[in-house]
Order: sequence, then C-alpha cells, then structure tokens
Amino acid sequence: MGDESKNSSEEPSQVNQDELILAQQRQIEKEISESIPLVGEMEPISSLNSEYANDEVYLEKIKDLSSKYKHIRRTRPDGNCFFRAYSYAGLERLLDKKDEFNAFYKQAEESKDALVQLGFQQFTVEDFYDIYMEVLKRVGDLTDVDDAKKTLHFLFNEQGYSDYMVVYLRLLTSGQLQKDQDFYSCFIEGDRTVADFCHQEVEPMYKESDHIHIIAACAALNMGVRVVYMDRGNNKSVTEHDFPEGCTPLVHLLYRPGHYDILYP
Amino acid sequence: MSLENKYNLKSPGVKRLMREARELAEPTEEYFAHPLEDNLFEWHFTVRGPPSTEFEGGFYHGRILLPSQYPMQPPNIILLTPNGRFEVNKKICLSISGHHPESWQPSWSIRTALLALIAFMPTPAAGTIGSLDYTPEERQILAKKSINWECQICGKIAETLSSQSKSSNITQEEASLIQQIALKAEEDANRKEKSADKKEDSDETNVRQRVTINTPSAETINEPITDVIMETEVSINPSTVDQVFNVVVWVIVFVIVLLIGRRFFLLE
Repeated sequence: MGDESKNSSEEPSQVNQDELILAQQRQIEKEISESIPLVGEMEPISSLNSEYANDEVYLEKIKDLSSKYKHIRRTRPDGNCFFRAYSYAGLERLLDKKDEFNAFYKQAEESKDALVQLGFQQFTVEDFYDIYMEVLKRVGDLTDVDDAKKTLHFLFNEQGYSDYMVVYLRLLTSGQLQKDQDFYSCFIEGDRTVADFCHQEVEPMYKESDHIHIIAACAALNMGVRVVYMDRGNNKSVTEHDFPEGCTPLVHLLYRPGHYDILYP
Repeated sequence: MSLENKYNLKSPGVKRLMREARELAEPTEEYFAHPLEDNLFEWHFTVRGPPSTEFEGGFYHGRILLPSQYPMQPPNIILLTPNGRFEVNKKICLSISGHHPESWQPSWSIRTALLALIAFMPTPAAGTIGSLDYTPEERQILAKKSINWECQICGKIAETLSSQSKSSNITQEEASLIQQIALKAEEDANRKEKSADKKEDSDETNVRQRVTINTPSAETINEPITDVIMETEVSINPSTVDQVFNVVVWVIVFVIVLLIGRRFFLLE
C-alpha cells in the first residue's frame, strides 16, 4: 500500500488536463462513429418521430416535413456532415442524369489546377484530387444506375475514400472563398481575413459548416441545395432556404441544430 | 520485406504515405525523413539545427508516429536527441502535433511538420507540454554533442543529411504556412483557457466535497506543483503569465481530483 500511494503522488507531473480533455473528446467521437454509419440507408420520414416522442413542437414539424418529403438518409454527426451529405446527395442525383454528370466530371477535372493557381500546395492537393476523381470515375463508368448508386454508397462508407471526398470539397470551398474574398469578407466576423477563416474553419476536418460554407460550396460545385430547417422555433411548419437563392435545387438537406441529413422528395 | 506487399495500396492513407516517402526520399540540407523498413506508420527523421540560433551545428533525430487515420489526424513527433528545447521521448507540443488535433489540416504533410519543427525550435518554451527552457549555453553544448549522437536504427545521424548546400526550396506559400502554424499556438492557449473555464463548475464542486474529506493528502500533493508554477512564471513574459497561471491552476485542480479519486479506489 505504501508503495502504491508513492506511485500515485508521483503522477501529477505526468497527468495533463489538456490531454485528458482530448482523450475524453476522442472517446466520445469514437462512440459516435461506431454507432452511426457515415452515410446511412434511406428511411421513411416517420422514422424521425421516435427521436421526438414527447415533443409536440417537433412532431408537428415532422408532419409538415412529411408532406413535402418521403425519405431521409442520415449521416454521421462528426462535423463533416454538411460536406458529406451534400456531395453524396449531389452525386446520387447526377447519376440519374448522365449529361449533367459528365459536365460535373469535366468541371471537377479542371478544379485541381485552379486550386494550385490559388496557392494551394500541389503535392497534397493532388493526393485528394486523385481519390476524388477515382470515386467519380468508378461510379461514372458503371452503366447500370443501380450498380453505380450501390458503389457510391459503398465508397462513401469506406472511411478512407469518404474522408478524402470531404477534404477535397473543403479545399474547393476554401478556394471559392479565397477567389471571391471581396464578397465573402463581409460575412466573416471579427478581424480575420478570408484566408485565416479558411485555414481555421473550412480546411480542418470536423469543423462544422455555416451558411458561408454552404454558399461557397454551392458556388464551387455549381450545384444548388435546398436546406430545410427544423428547430424549436414557434412556427408550425419547417422553413426552407435555397442556396443560391432562386435556384432549382438538386440536393435537399434537413438541418436540425448542429446537423445535416439528406432528404428525398 | 518491401512495404509494397505489406499494405493495402488501395487505402488512401497508405497511398498518401507512399507518396510522401517518395517525395522525401532524397535528404536535403535541412531535414531527412523515411519510414521504418517494417512499418510505414513510423518514420525516423533528422533535422539540422537552424543557423544563427543556439541550435546551429546540431543534428536532432526523432520519431514520427502516424495515426491510422492519417492524414485526417496529425502525426506525433518525438525527439530522441537531447536538445534543450523539447523533452526527449515525449510527444511534443507544436500546434500541429497530436496535442491539438483540431488545428491540423489534412493538406499539411510530414514535410510541413518538419519545417514547422525547425521554425519552432528557437521560439520561447512558454511552459507548453514537453517544452524545456535550457539556457543558450546549455543548448550550444547539446548541439555540439549531438554531432556524435547515434540512433540504433539509423546509425550516426549527422551523416544522414545532405552536406551539399542543396536548398529544400521552401516555397512562399510554405513560408506563410509555417508562420500561420506558429500563430496558432497562441490561439490554442486561449482556447485551452476557455475549455478549462467550462469545466470549472463541475470540477470545483467535486473538489470541494472531496477535499474536505481528505485534506491532508491534498496538501501534500499541492506542494511540489507550486514549485513548478514558480519556475514557469519566471521564464515567460508578463502578458502570458495570467493565461498560463489559470491553466496551471486548473491542471492542479484536475490532478487533485484525480488523485483523491484514485486514492479512494485504492483504499477500497
């Protein structure tokens, strides 16, 4: 016993609060990631009801939501959900429209040089670009649309590929913000420059997305999105917002505070 | 056995490390890094002490541990050569190393980490994890000694770097990147404080309850730590004293809770 207490009193210098917090945070992240797939299966809107069993405000809104949408596809809430949901849903829709897919593919092919010109490191941008194009090619080459969608679903649930898609979309978003920085700088609070903002809030993984990320991502991919907001607000219906305003959205996302999932009309 | 056969080459993380290994295959004058023969996820590196600093003439060797999620998660750097700036055999605290994963960007690389390490050596230690605050004279002595330092795996490390004045071509964008990394360390200090504050309430109540039950042991533990605080205070400038002090106080509170908790379990 004496020895043991001696050991424990030597420990203070070894234990560090920062590390403990991070360790705990990592544990929580790990638990989340083990319980929810990166991109889930399609489920009926009514599956939301069970999450809000005794919550009148939400139940009312889910009713409103189900009058507009039939299905929901959940994504892992890891801070990357907007980017993952947006790129998955976008590609899934494009697979139904071969011409638009080809145009999208061509635009993606040219995106790397644009990023390098903006000053991104060629060496690492290339790494993400290669995987991004590999995924587009693998799903695009399949003539059977159902096969292509299955492959897309498979790749988006392979951590390696899925995260690389997120990183590249983050880089494209960052590139868009920096290209049009005169415009975007008005939306950034504090005295951060657009470049600072990109390095701190856009490029690192697991950083959550705000309006400014969405606007820039849509501009970068030239693909509109409708975000349906569902929160505890007083109105009985869900509110919708299209990015960019007035577009015909290709992708529909459900936003609940802190998280995005995919919606299907 | 070659690495090519051992790993799943389709995995983006493996592809990426192979690519980095190819890029860094040639030693430069400032740094050299290579994966171990039998493990792509552990690298050894050597950096030259930055010129016009107390590390000039020194060669510093260490390990880079890559998480399985690399490049989504940052690499960990461990120095092996005594240098007077970073503790050896301990994961060191650059803002891009594993202690602050939230500021790491997947588009950074092992090369970025090495350049940042070199740029960081002459900066003040400021009481961060794994930092040492040796005098310039002590560091110069260590730098001289390091020339004969040998790694069990890599041999005499002073010979691993290129001796020709072949520059590693730090591009403009990399130079600004390294600066940005240095700036981030300060921000992280602020953030650290914030997260410490958040924990305040719950920790404090715990501590109060337990301290009243077990006061003697809490006091004995407090003593050695106060000494540490004094030392750090002397070495850093006044503007960061408050921040560091706050952080240290919460570290102590946390440690006390931990130890007392531990003691309870041991007694039972």
